[in-house]
Amino acid sequence: MPPPEPRLVLDGITAGYGAAPPALREVSLHVRPGEVVGLVGPNGSGKTTVVRVVSRTLRPKTGAVRVVGRDPYEIPGRELARLVAVVPQDVLPAFSFTALEMVFMGRTPYGSAWGGGSPEDWARARAAMVAASVQHLADRPLEELSGGERQRVILAQALAQDAPVLLLDEPTSHLDVRHVVDVLAIVRGLAERDGTAVLAILHDLNVASIACDRMVVLDRGAVVAEGDPAAVLTHGLLREVYGVDADVVVDDATGRPSVRLGAPRAVGPALGRRAHVVGGAGRGAPLFRRLTEAGYEVSVGILHASDTDQAAAERLNLVRVSVPPFSTIDPESVRACRALMEAADLLVVCDAPFGPGNVENLRLALDVARGGVPTVLLEQVPIAERDFTGGEATELWGALRSLARVAASYEELAASAAG
Amino acid sequence: MRVWGGRYRLVLALLALGLAASVLLAVGIGAVRISPGSALELVAWKLGLVDRPDVPRSTEVILFQLRVPRVALAVVVGLALATSGTLFQGLFRNPLADPAIIGVSSGAALGAIAVIVLGGGALLGGLGVSLAAFVGGMLTAFFVYRLARVGPAVHVATLLLAGIAVAAVISAVMSLVMSFAGEEIRSIYFWLLGGLSARGWTAVEVVAPLVAMGVLGSLVLIRDLNIVALGEERAAQLGVDVDRFKWRVVALGALLAGAAVSVSGVIGFVGLMTPHLLRLVVGADHRRLLPAVLLAGPMFLVLADLVARVALAPQELPLGAVTALVGGPFFLLLLRRERRGAGAPA
Repeated sequence: MPPPEPRLVLDGITAGYGAAPPALREVSLHVRPGEVVGLVGPNGSGKTTVVRVVSRTLRPKTGAVRVVGRDPYEIPGRELARLVAVVPQDVLPAFSFTALEMVFMGRTPYGSAWGGGSPEDWARARAAMVAASVQHLADRPLEELSGGERQRVILAQALAQDAPVLLLDEPTSHLDVRHVVDVLAIVRGLAERDGTAVLAILHDLNVASIACDRMVVLDRGAVVAEGDPAAVLTHGLLREVYGVDADVVVDDATGRPSVRLGAPRAVGPALGRRAHVVGGAGRGAPLFRRLTEAGYEVSVGILHASDTDQAAAERLNLVRVSVPPFSTIDPESVRACRALMEAADLLVVCDAPFGPGNVENLRLALDVARGGVPTVLLEQVPIAERDFTGGEATELWGALRSLARVAASYEELAASAAG
Repeated sequence: MRVWGGRYRLVLALLALGLAASVLLAVGIGAVRISPGSALELVAWKLGLVDRPDVPRSTEVILFQLRVPRVALAVVVGLALATSGTLFQGLFRNPLADPAIIGVSSGAALGAIAVIVLGGGALLGGLGVSLAAFVGGMLTAFFVYRLARVGPAVHVATLLLAGIAVAAVISAVMSLVMSFAGEEIRSIYFWLLGGLSARGWTAVEVVAPLVAMGVLGSLVLIRDLNIVALGEERAAQLGVDVDRFKWRVVALGALLAGAAVSVSGVIGFVGLMTPHLLRLVVGADHRRLLPAVLLAGPMFLVLADLVARVALAPQELPLGAVTALVGGPFFLLLLRRERRGAGAPA
């Protein structure tokens, strides 16, 4: 029997943003019904651009896209949304919605403009919640949920679209590995049961290896490898595409390849001690020079680009991770900052004000501190006076406090860092 | 499903009751008191339901020629401002947006002031000023929208900034125009401070159809208002035509705000506060929010106008000042309470 017709086809797609060099060059790939295909590649290789091209956000310059035989650019958005569902990295609604309200929005391409929804719409929304194991969260406001729960609610929203093609845009990038496995198990079940064609952008090669039938590797906008995980994940490819020396071992139990990184080696001139400072609102700036003088190479982040600390870090030419003013922190920056934090000999968390825009820093710091990186907190101002998150920052700060040394002044902190 | 669950129905019922009570109160209170009973009897008589009640002829005239049209106008204007505020807050995904945000109010005020200063205050029996205000508001909104449009796409942040910049330029022009004004300055102040006095039935008849159109049009946008709150890209992924949505919101929001300003002058806080406050009570889902707003907006404005009329009677207070005086501190209180929940510095 010939294999079934692919449900998603990209044929020779070249696409980009404005005058910049194309983000995708001559990319061709396909996904058949019931197949889970992993799209992997380093940051900036064009993975998310693939999602944009398919979901009609970015019209390709050349090449063709077909979703169940239809050209997304030739059909109404409503119709496309019945064919392709996207699970984005995260969704931050401007107003407070409950989980059920969120999931019900997945029925948009079927419902009326008033949006009351037919009994069938509600039934499908409920079924999607069950499929994503979030039915017990129906009446909870989204912002009260944990990262993993929220991600599954968003997954359920996409499932409620009942589309034959599902795109996952790194849905797992800021989740614990347990949640990653949860999400992928749900998706895999869907592919097997309903024949959904799944294209999953994944960051973690080992997760991709376990979860996918096939892998497509993008590098600088072009497909450089495609096929069975065992055929794709090789020492040579990892060196060429990711620039790492890694062992690839086939797991006896699963028969799947897994990647083992060697111990990181210092790049460039030998470095002294490194310190990473979480600042904000100018609370970090007085530390930059003190820590530099104490012999640290200092990195900072994640800051908003208009922050006083950002300006100070620029003057001292420190390594910094920053995001545009007033925006929330994106997963890409989180990964970059996590790498800096984990590589540091000392993590310093300043007593900055924390709101929804920057509380991610505290989550990150807590995670890294739990991983064993020595941590110092600056605490001239009590957390109660600078918590604008409604308690989450206070909770995170408390947890950090139990893992870290606490300094009451810049002097005390610098002295403790020098020691 | 329970989009409109038991508690929500109770809230709606209370709001409807509150609106009815406010209307009865407002038509009854004044230099001549009319009891709610007589008012209801007179209305029933007018509708041909009962025989004429035994009340003086003057009461009838006061009720139908002065009070009822004024309260009706307050209802219509409150409806328009609150709906427009809900639309703009949804579009900008910002609970602090209001009908003035894309320059409608300032454009309308400039139109009105220009006509007054040029001596056209009495044109078309006073409606000339309203017409100029409406045209000024719509032109400004359209101009701001065009400024923010690149190809088919409209950037919401640019729309916001263009609105603020255009409003600033317009208020500078207004100051210039006002410096040439002589005795017209009083009627100009009326425009800038807002008010519903002595407008009669004509104003209601002219504006009500526009507002009805705007409100009905908004009902069709309810679902998309919810989806766009998730971000434009996500809304597009869920099948919403985002560019068309934005155009409709701006058109309807400007129509509503322009219609309101054209008969009442600039009245702040109704459009800002009504949706914001109700979101705390019934949640952010526009399927619940908008119906509640449609009851609360008129109620707020009827009560505010009542205060403006009777607080220092016979002296009448500017309505815009009353809404700001009541609304401002209340809103600040709300913000302080809310800061503990969501909405904080980045």
